[in-house]
Amino acid sequence: MTPRMRISEEQNGDVTILRLTGRLELEDGDLMFRDAVNRLVAAGHVKIVLDFKDITRIDSAGIGMLVSKYLSARQRGGTIKLLHLTQHSDHLMDITRLGTVFEIYDDEGAALGSFGADSEQESGIRTQESGLDQE
Amino acid sequence: MGQPADGRNILLVDDDRALRLALSALLKGAGHLVDTAGDGPEALALLEDRRFDIVLLDIGLPSMNGLDVLARARALAAPPLVIMMTADDTSETLLESVRRQAYRYLRKPFPPSTIIDVVNDAVGPATALSFEVVSARPEWLELVAPCTLEMVERIQSFVMHLDAQLPEDVREAVAQAFRELLTNAIEWGGKFDPNRKVRISCVRAKKMLFYRIQDPGEGFDIDGLRHAAISNPVDDPIRHLIVREQKGLRPGGFGLAMTRSLVDELIYNESRNEVIFVKYLE
Repeated sequence: MTPRMRISEEQNGDVTILRLTGRLELEDGDLMFRDAVNRLVAAGHVKIVLDFKDITRIDSAGIGMLVSKYLSARQRGGTIKLLHLTQHSDHLMDITRLGTVFEIYDDEGAALGSFGADSEQESGIRTQESGLDQE
Repeated sequence: MGQPADGRNILLVDDDRALRLALSALLKGAGHLVDTAGDGPEALALLEDRRFDIVLLDIGLPSMNGLDVLARARALAAPPLVIMMTADDTSETLLESVRRQAYRYLRKPFPPSTIIDVVNDAVGPATALSFEVVSARPEWLELVAPCTLEMVERIQSFVMHLDAQLPEDVREAVAQAFRELLTNAIEWGGKFDPNRKVRISCVRAKKMLFYRIQDPGEGFDIDGLRHAAISNPVDDPIRHLIVREQKGLRPGGFGLAMTRSLVDELIYNESRNEVIFVKYLE
């Protein structure tokens, strides 16, 4: 089967936005998506936003690949956040309880900005730890 | 000029000249070789003269119905895959297309990208993609099909056309559940082996939809499904992925958890190689 997934990539600072178009399903987009994230993670681009606005269908294999790549990014110190879920994708995230795993945004600026907040939060933690060390 | 490596020989049959020209240009632009015919006899003459991989066939043709052209095309020694195109939205027309082994069924109007997607899906010899039609009534569709992933898309498209009049949320829930369970049956029960068969029944009653899928596997032990999301604790919805990785399974395992939430009843037989699901209608 010819994959009906198309992926475009945009870099915004150290955050990469992958805009997915088409289907994220078993042997119909899941492998293309896997390869795209693998390439990013291998190159050290581990802060990733997935724009789901033009995802037309997603199945359990696609969701599984999504979680698998989320874990890959996490293992390298990054993460994957989701943007513009369709009503159906949102419902699937809800019934699989993955809404508790992924950060989900409706606004692109907020999704991008959240990485800055993460960095500041991490920086804050490091500062505290440094303070403890000094004591 | 040579044919592109993945290009197909396509015969496009439609009495609407403007549509013929538009679709022909679109398909040629996608790398396919396209011949056209404006009616049934012209199409049959071309089919007898040379071999086509795919026929895109309008049903409402002058002088000879597209369904009759379908039957004649499928009787050829090397039958093409036939994709029906029609504005006729009656289930009888769809079911007659199923009975005569149409490859897919497209309801006009459709977006241009759809025709390219469907043509790209249509690979392999038509004989390998045949299914047995046990029943083709609007109230009871029953098929026996080889365990290939291509069948999932194909059968789902027929079933979803039958469900076209349902509210969108019901259609989406049923489509997702049907796809998940049929893929499970073909992947785990049938091991993607085209020589093994899956039996599918779709029954439409006044107040409920009833789907039954019987796979050729030995079934499974639901308590042993640690690689499925249904076994996860409430506070850890992805724990099963660790088990899947240890077992060398592809990422996934959310199918049953999703399906349970999408339908009203999900019932397995004792060995769990047969499943029914029910969606009640308001």
